[in-house]
Order: sequence, then C-alpha cells, then structure tokens
Amino acid sequence: MTEALLAALVFLPLLGACLLLLAPSSWRATILLAVTVPLPFCLLPLTLLIADAGLFEMTLAGHPAPLGIRWRLDALSLLILWLNVSLMILVGLAAGARFAPASDVGLRFWPLWLLLAGGIHALLLSADLFNLYVTLELVTLAGIGLIATGGSGAALRAAMRYLLLALMASLLYLLGVGLVYAEAGTLDLYQLGETLEPGLLPATALVLMLAGLLVKSAIFPLHAWLPAAHGNAPGPVSAMLSAIVVKVSLYIIWRLWFWTAGDWQLPAPGLLLGLLGAGAILYGSALALVQKRLKMVVAYSTVAQLGYLMLIFPLSGLLAWQAASYHLIAHGLAKAALFVAAGNILASLGSDRLRRLAGLDQRLPMDVFALALASVSLMGLPPSGGFVGKWLFLRAAYEQNAWGWMALVALGGLLAAAYLFRVLALTCFHPRSHGHSTRLREPPTLASLAGLLLALAAIALGFASAPILALLEAAWPGAMTP
Amino acid sequence: MTDLAVDVLIGAGLLALAWQTIIGKSLFRGIVLFVVFGLTMALAWARMGAPDLALAEAAIGAGVTGALMLVAFRRLVRIRPEQSAQPALRRSRLALPVAVLAGSLVAVIGLAVVAVERDPAVAGQAVAQALTDSGLGNPITGVLLLYRNLDTLLEVAVLLAAFLAARTVFGEDEARSPTPSRREVPLVGALLAIIVPLTILIATHLLLAGSREPGGAFQAGAVLAASGVLLVLAGRLQPAAGLSSWPALGLTLGLMLFSLIGLAVMAFGAPLLALPGLWAVYLIETAMMLSIAMTLVLLFAGASGLRRGSP
Repeated sequence: MTEALLAALVFLPLLGACLLLLAPSSWRATILLAVTVPLPFCLLPLTLLIADAGLFEMTLAGHPAPLGIRWRLDALSLLILWLNVSLMILVGLAAGARFAPASDVGLRFWPLWLLLAGGIHALLLSADLFNLYVTLELVTLAGIGLIATGGSGAALRAAMRYLLLALMASLLYLLGVGLVYAEAGTLDLYQLGETLEPGLLPATALVLMLAGLLVKSAIFPLHAWLPAAHGNAPGPVSAMLSAIVVKVSLYIIWRLWFWTAGDWQLPAPGLLLGLLGAGAILYGSALALVQKRLKMVVAYSTVAQLGYLMLIFPLSGLLAWQAASYHLIAHGLAKAALFVAAGNILASLGSDRLRRLAGLDQRLPMDVFALALASVSLMGLPPSGGFVGKWLFLRAAYEQNAWGWMALVALGGLLAAAYLFRVLALTCFHPRSHGHSTRLREPPTLASLAGLLLALAAIALGFASAPILALLEAAWPGAMTP
Repeated sequence: MTDLAVDVLIGAGLLALAWQTIIGKSLFRGIVLFVVFGLTMALAWARMGAPDLALAEAAIGAGVTGALMLVAFRRLVRIRPEQSAQPALRRSRLALPVAVLAGSLVAVIGLAVVAVERDPAVAGQAVAQALTDSGLGNPITGVLLLYRNLDTLLEVAVLLAAFLAARTVFGEDEARSPTPSRREVPLVGALLAIIVPLTILIATHLLLAGSREPGGAFQAGAVLAASGVLLVLAGRLQPAAGLSSWPALGLTLGLMLFSLIGLAVMAFGAPLLALPGLWAVYLIETAMMLSIAMTLVLLFAGASGLRRGSP
C-alpha cells in the first residue's frame, strides 16, 4: 500500500503530463486537478508512517541494491515533498490564472509543470546516485522550458545561459558518479556510506559532484545565472525555481555530505562551504539593496537566503540540521509568496521598476499585503517560519561558541530587513501629484489569493514548529553529532 | 603492436578533430568536423569494447546531433546572414580560465583513475549473475530495462521535457519546412523508396537484436528518426503548427506504456516496475523507439506537428 502511495507521487504527475498532450483542450483543467488533488492525500498516510517508523524503504523492480534502485523516504524528504505539493497547489492557482489550461500557452506550460513536479518527487525519493542524476536532468530541463514560456528576449537569454551552465554542472556531477562507481562498485547512497573510505579517488569524486551541485543550487560565487533566470521568468515559474528547484540540488549535497561521507571528518571543507554561504548572504543581500526592479530584488534575495542552507556544514549538529531544514521550508513558502505577488504586480503595472510601485498599497492591497507578510518571514521576525529557522541557527552557533556565525546570521537578518523595507516603503509612498497615475490591470483574484495564502503559510509555519522539529530530530544521522 | 598503433591514431585524431572543431574558420566547418569527431569517437568506443556506446554515439552523437546543428545553422543563415559567415571562434575572457580549469580537471582525474585498483564491480557482478535468469543476452539491455529501469523511464521523461522545452521557442506561426524544396529533384522518390524501408528494417533489427547483442531502443529510435529526417528533407513530411493527436501520441507513447505496465504489475503483487516478462521488455522498447524517433524528427523539423507534404 505504501509502495503504491510513493508510486503515485511520481507517476501521477508524469502520466498527467502525457495526458495533457493527448486530451482535448477542454479536459486539461480536469486532468490537472485529477493529478494534483490526490497528492496531499498520498502524503498524509506517509506522514503518519514516518512519524511512527522514521523511515521507509522500497526496492524498485524487485532487484535490491547494488543491482537495482531503492527509494527511501525519511523526514527530510517528506518535508520537502510537502513543500513541493503545497507549492504545486498554491502557486498552481496563480499559474492557472495566467496560463489558462485550455489555451495554447497553457499547453506549453502545464506539461512541463507536471514533469517538473514528477522529477522533484522522484529526486526526493531516490537513494541512487545515477538515478539522482537523471531526476536532476528532468528537473533542470523542465525548469528551463518553464523559464522560456516567459517568451521575452531576456527570458530566452536567461534560459539559454541556465541551460549551458546546468549541463556543465550535470557533467561534473556525472563524472563524480562514474568515479565513485569505479571505486566502490555500487551507486546506492547509503551503501556507499558504509563502504566508501576517504581517499584520493573518492575525494575527487565528491569534489566533482559538489561542484556540479553547487552550480545547480546557485551558491555564491556560482550564482551568476540565477538572478537573470529567476528575475525574467514568469511569476509562478520564478516562484517554483526559487522556492524548490535550487533547493533540491542542495538536498543532494546534504545527502552526500551527511550520509555518504557521513563518517569522514571534514572540518576544513565544511568551513569552506560555510564561508561560501557567508559570501552568499553578504553579497546577495548587498546586491538586493541596489536593484531597480522588484523581481531582481527578490531574485538576489534568493542568492542570499540560500547561503543560510550552507551554514549547516560548519555548524554541523542536530540544531543546525533542524535550523537549515526549517529554513529551507520557510524560505520556500515565503519566497514563493514574494514571487507570486511580484508577478501579479508586474502583470498589472506592466513593469516592476521600484519607482513605479509608489502608492501601490491602495491600488493592489492584497498583493502588497502578501509581499509584506512574506517579508516578515524572510527577515526572520517572530512569529514566522523564518524566525524559527534563524533562531535555531543562532542557538546552534551559540552552543558551539561560534560567535562569527552568530554575527553573520544576525547581520543577514538585518540586511534582509533593509532590502525588503526598501521595497515596502516605496509601495506605501504617496507622491503628491496624482496626475500621471498609470493604468492598472487588476490581477486575477485567484492569483492574489494564492500569494496571500502562501505568505500566510510562511507565517503559520512559525506556530507548527514542535512536531516538525521532532520529525527532523528522528531523521538526523546520529553519527554526525559532534 | 598494430592495435596500439590504431589506438594512438584514433586518440590523436580525436584530439586534432576536437581542436579543429573549436578553432574552425567558420561555423559550418565546425559542425561538419563535429560530426566527424562523433564518428571517430564511435570508433574509439568500439575499440574499447563498448559496441552499444559506439552505436549510440554514431547514431545520436554524430547523426542526429549533427542534423540538428545543421538545421540550426540554416536558420541562422536565414535570420542573421552576417553572423553565420563570421568565424565561430571569438576571443573570450573566459577562454583561458576555462582551459586551465579543464586541464587541471583532466590531470586530477587522470591521477585519481591511475590510483584506482580494479575493484570487483559489485553491481557489475550482480548483473552478470542475474542476467542468466532473465533470458536476455545483452547485459546493457538488462540494466536498462530490468534492473535499473527507473533510470530509463525517467530518461524518456527527460526526452519529453527537452522536446517540450524546445517547443516553447518554436515559432508556431511561421512553421515551415527546413528545406522548402518546391521543385522535385529527379530520383529523390526512387531513393526514398529504397532508403526509408531499409532504415525501418535496420531500426527493427537493432531493436530486436538489443536483447542479445548490441543495440536497443535508443539506437533504433535514432536510426528510425533518420528516415523521418529524410522524409522531412525531401518535403514528403511538412512541419505543421499545433500539436495534433498522432504526433502527440508518438511523443508520449514510450513514457505512458512504460509507466502503465510498471504500475499495473503492482496490482498483481509484484514490486513497482518489475516487468512481467520478455514480452513486456519488447513492447516497452518498441514504444520507446517510436517515441524517441518522433521526438527527434519533430526537433529536426522545428515544429510540434507534421503533415503530409506534396510528393
């Protein structure tokens, strides 16, 4: 039964994408609903199971590893699955308003959307290095196609640049996988954790895989492709890309680091990764402060916020693990809300230049409210999901007397407040002359509502921390506690 | 001794071809040399005892990729004639860092690979043991369709995603043939009448042989696509705007059939994707071949659909 639930998570979206291409246009909305609505109901029993047993493994095709492929579900993958399904539904609402399923552009958009979802689900379940490569390719290519549905020259250029960098990154990762197989004769992540010993070849392989994955996760200084791609894609697409697509490659890094290489003692490389994160936080925030377009502010904010997810490496310990996982989820919801709201503003104003936003709080109250609520979570103000994540980071750093990291987390929050308040202040700024107020196309209510719901979810996450943190504690690979 | 000489020759040829491809005087020359590079690479794979890879490299790496590059070049000639005539190589500030990076990468990997002891490939041995029970003779097909078939299934999904991503940039309104050859060239019809059935025969052979010998759905699909490319080039098939039903069925057939069979076995108590027998392998491979061929032909035509052209 549980096997069927996991299969549904992957195959419903994949088959849905095929059906969308085959069915008459009037059926497409029904198909979309039919493959999306069951997903949370698949996750519910799985959540109960994981809360109870902590772990679920299944062998595919009846061939156990190392011959075959395993799927493995634990609290971390489960939480990110929940994030993706929530985003599929809420961001999907906003996207449905823009890309009507029955229309021609809808036929371009929705099959890619479902392939992206199926790819993410397969990635989160997979316990096999090569299978992870295939799922990463699926996620990347679907993401690139979705960026290109924006249609503008800037979107196409950004998609092309992303494609080239992502392919190079994939090849680096694949090279690492090949070397690992040459050394250990298996590709199973967790079997490798038991057999792979530190050495020249495994280290080279790990570095290659990390380099490829860091490019895909746009970690500073390999982030160059992200702002253009996320800033020029259509709003709902930016939301998915920033909220989850860049995270799943980082998820693989965590798996490699804490499971496959879990018993290697790697303080110096961990510190280096942490410093990359620090660079990301400072550089991304600084650039977010000087952007002239709303979506670019949000895109650079992604560069900055991804940096926090790297702090888990130097601070490695249960608290940092909970902090980073919580931050991943909270940032996903808040950033999706920001991008959906920014997309709505862009669509109704025809521009998202910051100085055009003046007085917007009266004209698009719902979108500005969503923007403000999501900002609260992103800055890490209590009571919000972002606060819990940052608070846990601070505690983790405090317990290890890591004052530098503490200062960095606090500074990152301040900088986030600075660049987000800059935007909010502009929307509430009312110039005296009302003469040249531009025409405004009201965004669809459903799209505004979707942004608001996402922002509310980001806030509500601050109240639901106890059970989630308990789940995460059970999933922490205990051997790693320092 | 002769073996070594052939290997050195192929290796040196590959390096020279790669260099010539990069510094090619013109884009067109670069594309042609890339195809030659692909064919030489196929030779290299064959020398290394990987005939499946050699076939795939020749059919996909050299054949289909080369055809796609040439189509892209034709478009470039049409929309930016001045750019297509320029040398392909432009000085880039990134060239040196990238070269250093690539060079050090090759060095490090070389050192690391030299250090590796030929460990018993655990999974490889398991394949060899399991293969005798399966009725298949080709371990590659065994891995692709029996043991690690989720990889293959997702690869088919990747191909679909790649086509859909490319489709977002097709100009639907200006769907046109890559070669709008209005006038009939003599003997084209006769040539097609020989080549197209022959190609279909070869594709089918590759597909069926794949269970025992080198071959399989990917190679067969690429060969089948070649006949489609020929038909498009000769104007027998014309690109059409809009996704009509039978190309859409061709695109999705492989993924759908594979998924449905893989899921259906669960109803009989078997694990997910545990294929019930060799017939399922052949069925899925045939569907995948058709999907792969359809995807490649549509990519070549730069359109979402095909319609019958005037002969």
